[in-house]
Amino acid sequence: MEDGGGKMKVNVLNKTENELKIELEGAGHTLCNLLQKKLLEDETVDLAGYDIPHPLASNPILYVRTKGDVKPEEALHRAVEKILELSKEFSKELKKALKT
Amino acid sequence: MEIKVLEKGDKNMRLLIKGVDTPFVNALRRNALAEVPCMAIDDVVIIENSSVLQDEIVAHRLGLIPLKTDLDGYNLPEECSCKSEFGCNLCRVTLTLDREAKEGTVTVYSGELVSENPNIVPVSDKVPITKLVKGQKLRLEAYARLGKGKNHAKWQPVSTCTYKYLPQIKIDSKNCDACGKCVEICPRKVLEKSEGKIEIRDLPACTLCQDCMDACPKEPSAIEVGWEENAFIFSLESTGVLPPERIMEEAVKILEKQLKELASQIKVRKT
Ligand code: SF4
Ligand code: SF4
Ligand SMILES: [Zn+2]
Repeated sequence: MEDGGGKMKVNVLNKTENELKIELEGAGHTLCNLLQKKLLEDETVDLAGYDIPHPLASNPILYVRTKGDVKPEEALHRAVEKILELSKEFSKELKKALKT
Repeated sequence: MEIKVLEKGDKNMRLLIKGVDTPFVNALRRNALAEVPCMAIDDVVIIENSSVLQDEIVAHRLGLIPLKTDLDGYNLPEECSCKSEFGCNLCRVTLTLDREAKEGTVTVYSGELVSENPNIVPVSDKVPITKLVKGQKLRLEAYARLGKGKNHAKWQPVSTCTYKYLPQIKIDSKNCDACGKCVEICPRKVLEKSEGKIEIRDLPACTLCQDCMDACPKEPSAIEVGWEENAFIFSLESTGVLPPERIMEEAVKILEKQLKELASQIKVRKT
């Protein structure tokens, strides 16, 4: 449910050594699709996916499973950082392109 | 990464974006549609309405009038420090309308709305609100606020926001005999024939329909249409509420904000 001006909130649904299942309150396809893609590009990630059980009444559920002894939250954090870098570069390039 | 402005007007913009993936441009598209705020009338107090339209219909029509937006001067009501349901000077703009048909039939247009802030006015003066016949009156006070497209389409700053892959057209000059069949069939006039050769006139216009490939009598086809990986043509058309480049910048800013919020929620425990 991407409603209101609500802040993003992460609820942990399930967590083991190399698995993480979280609910992302206030997020939607916009972010989850990006995250999934970036997680799957990560060599240490075994499986990554998300589901929005009901398009109006539920928040997306993101699932990450990692290989070896990499913590899933570490992989997730890395993915977020990577996208953040990308969007920073994008906004820089956009400014440059708009100036000329 | 490379961004090039292909086209820019006061309402529309076309960008060539290279070096990003589909989920990223899609996130920008979704944010431009649903997350970048703009002004629209949300509450209406009807003082007098003797037109044939019910109050609700008039209010609905007022809500759909695009209003020029000042994102730096106003807050989203839910984020405003006033925390008031009625809003304050920083999250609400009052517009009034007072019209009576003195003679014959008149049409009331958006341009007759009087705003307390000369910068927050309808994008177009020519949006009809209702018609009045002699003696009918429409008097009301309308409150505009910032909102987001995900809550109501009236708060959507763009009329269209799309992206497509950058087309790639290869013509096998050895195989092609310049019969011109591909030029003829192309619905977007992408190709042209000059000096016995087929040339690409306007590559970004190509819709990847591949009709030219089917029309080519050669076997295999002398023309091949494909697309470049990770290169997009991003088009954005503003309703006029905000300049297109501002919408794009806001969409990126909002994405960054969402990511930062998420990052702050993920605690990484070092072992
Ligand atoms: S794919 Fe379609 S639009 Fe593109 S050049 Fe061929 S006929 Fe024209
Ligand atoms: S239809 Fe085929 S052979 Fe004819 S001009 Fe086009 S590419 Fe060349
Ligand atoms: Zn306020």
